[in-house]
Amino acid sequence: MFTEDELEHLREHLSHYPERRAGAIYCLYAVQDKIGYIDDKGIMMVTELTGLSKTQLEELITFFTLLRRRPVGRNVLRICDSISCHVMGSRQVLEAAEAHTGVALGEISRTGSVTILPSICLGLCNHAPAALLNDEDEVSRLTPESVQKLLDELDQQPFQQSATGSQVIATSGHSMLTEGRDH
Amino acid sequence: MEKILSRNFSAGPLDFAAYKAADGYKTLESVIGRPRGDLLNELKQSGLKGCGGAGFLTALKWSFKAPDAPHPIYLVVNLDEAEPGSFKDRQVLYRDPHTLIEGTIAASYVLNADKAFIFIRGEYRKGARLLEKAVQEAHNNGLLGQNIMNSGWGLEIDVHLSAGRYICGEETALLNALEGYRANPRSKPPFPVAKGLWGQPTIVNNAETISHVPFILARGAQWFKDQGINGAFGSHIYQVSGAVKSPGFFELPLGTTAREIIFNQAGGMLPGRKLTGFLPGGASTQFMLPEHLDIPLHWDGPPTVGSRLGTGGIIVMDDHICPIDFMSNLMLFFTRESCGYCTPCRDGLPYVKHLLDKFEQGSATEKDIDTLKELCEVIYPNTFCAFAPGALMPITTGVEKFESLLHEHIKNKGCTMKRCA
Repeated sequence: MFTEDELEHLREHLSHYPERRAGAIYCLYAVQDKIGYIDDKGIMMVTELTGLSKTQLEELITFFTLLRRRPVGRNVLRICDSISCHVMGSRQVLEAAEAHTGVALGEISRTGSVTILPSICLGLCNHAPAALLNDEDEVSRLTPESVQKLLDELDQQPFQQSATGSQVIATSGHSMLTEGRDH
Repeated sequence: MEKILSRNFSAGPLDFAAYKAADGYKTLESVIGRPRGDLLNELKQSGLKGCGGAGFLTALKWSFKAPDAPHPIYLVVNLDEAEPGSFKDRQVLYRDPHTLIEGTIAASYVLNADKAFIFIRGEYRKGARLLEKAVQEAHNNGLLGQNIMNSGWGLEIDVHLSAGRYICGEETALLNALEGYRANPRSKPPFPVAKGLWGQPTIVNNAETISHVPFILARGAQWFKDQGINGAFGSHIYQVSGAVKSPGFFELPLGTTAREIIFNQAGGMLPGRKLTGFLPGGASTQFMLPEHLDIPLHWDGPPTVGSRLGTGGIIVMDDHICPIDFMSNLMLFFTRESCGYCTPCRDGLPYVKHLLDKFEQGSATEKDIDTLKELCEVIYPNTFCAFAPGALMPITTGVEKFESLLHEHIKNKGCTMKRCA
């Protein structure tokens, strides 16, 4: 799953905390960024890295919303349904999006292009109703029509493998600032 | 009032050279090297309060650190901003990350901290990446690391990306999340300032609070006081969302009235919409009504009508949405985000939501109004942390202020407004 460089980087990152488990989320993110979700093999790998048991890792994954144990579509669209977006019509946006994919929220669309999830407030209240595409790209002022257009575009998009492993993770620690940046 | 935290927003995010050229990091020259007691005193004089919503005096919190506190001492910058309707810390992170670093360095110096963690919610991943780049730049330019500005004092900043969950913003839950545990709150005492991260003295502050610190220390408490109006000190990044013409964020004197913020800064209501109420500072604040628009939004303003400033993220409610549907949506958020650790919160909040939905769907009876009120009273004082009490603030006040609507919903067997489900 990981190259030797990436593994070395993860070990380095874990060792910069007083306890290795503080880096568990970081490692779980690394697995997820690499293959889209956290599979059994990934869990076993993080077990070895952190010294945590499989159960302890499952405990974290089931708690933290952004970590997932199941595969998702090629894109993940989190549509906010908290109050500021709600008053601006996010319910209609979610309904239109769900209808367009032909599957329930949280499942992979029939074309495989997207998984849609309702989300808590994304801090994009001034762009309501808003969404976050693939954890980073902000989608503003959605309407039932514009979300369907966006989903059409995602359907057309060829699959692009995003950057892998440590390169896509934002968290740091001084040890990482000097290490592992140029791999 | 001059723009302080938002001074670089239109140009940002600035890289190190551009930030420095715009007088960035200049405050540190008058902070680092000065006696820490003097600095803490200056901060105390300024009356700076925690901008995350609690409004606790920052200098007082810091003064609880024991004089002989064992090292390492940690500063944790809380950027787990997930309060619905709040997006002020996000602006600093995305538009001017060096301002956050400047604040973190200054605050860490005063606290004699050895390491600062900036804890960022997972949904702000892009911002965390920007911040990490800025941290690296600061490091390369000698502002982080050992012996900063020849003071003999050193600091490392660690950008920590979290993975979701509103409860991580509660300071002790945050510490658990950072340590790699589920983000359940810890019991207090011991407070984090005595035993926090890995049992060491730890000070947790909101990102906006921290960003204010170096400017207060460099320019003086009086200057900071002069930035506020209507009896308040300093500036605040207010936020407005909902059915207004220009929703957004506005750095204004602390103490600005809701009328000025909603109707002038945010352009007023959308055509055809009428203001029916607002939450002054995020989802866990009490309802204020149109007749409260002229109350200054500072720490002591909203309490005069039973509300509180919170984060200053104003959520506008208009006549196109039923207040009960509004409350039900708030409860959807809180039931989903409850960490599940204690029963009144885990089981009580879904019950509150269920009751509110009964009114919307038309199956409620008069008895449900009593049950709703009683339930809020039972949950409020019996939870482990401040999450459920916060969640109930808009509900208890909403039930009180819109009680006639509850009776109407019973009579009409449900909601008669189009926008309700």
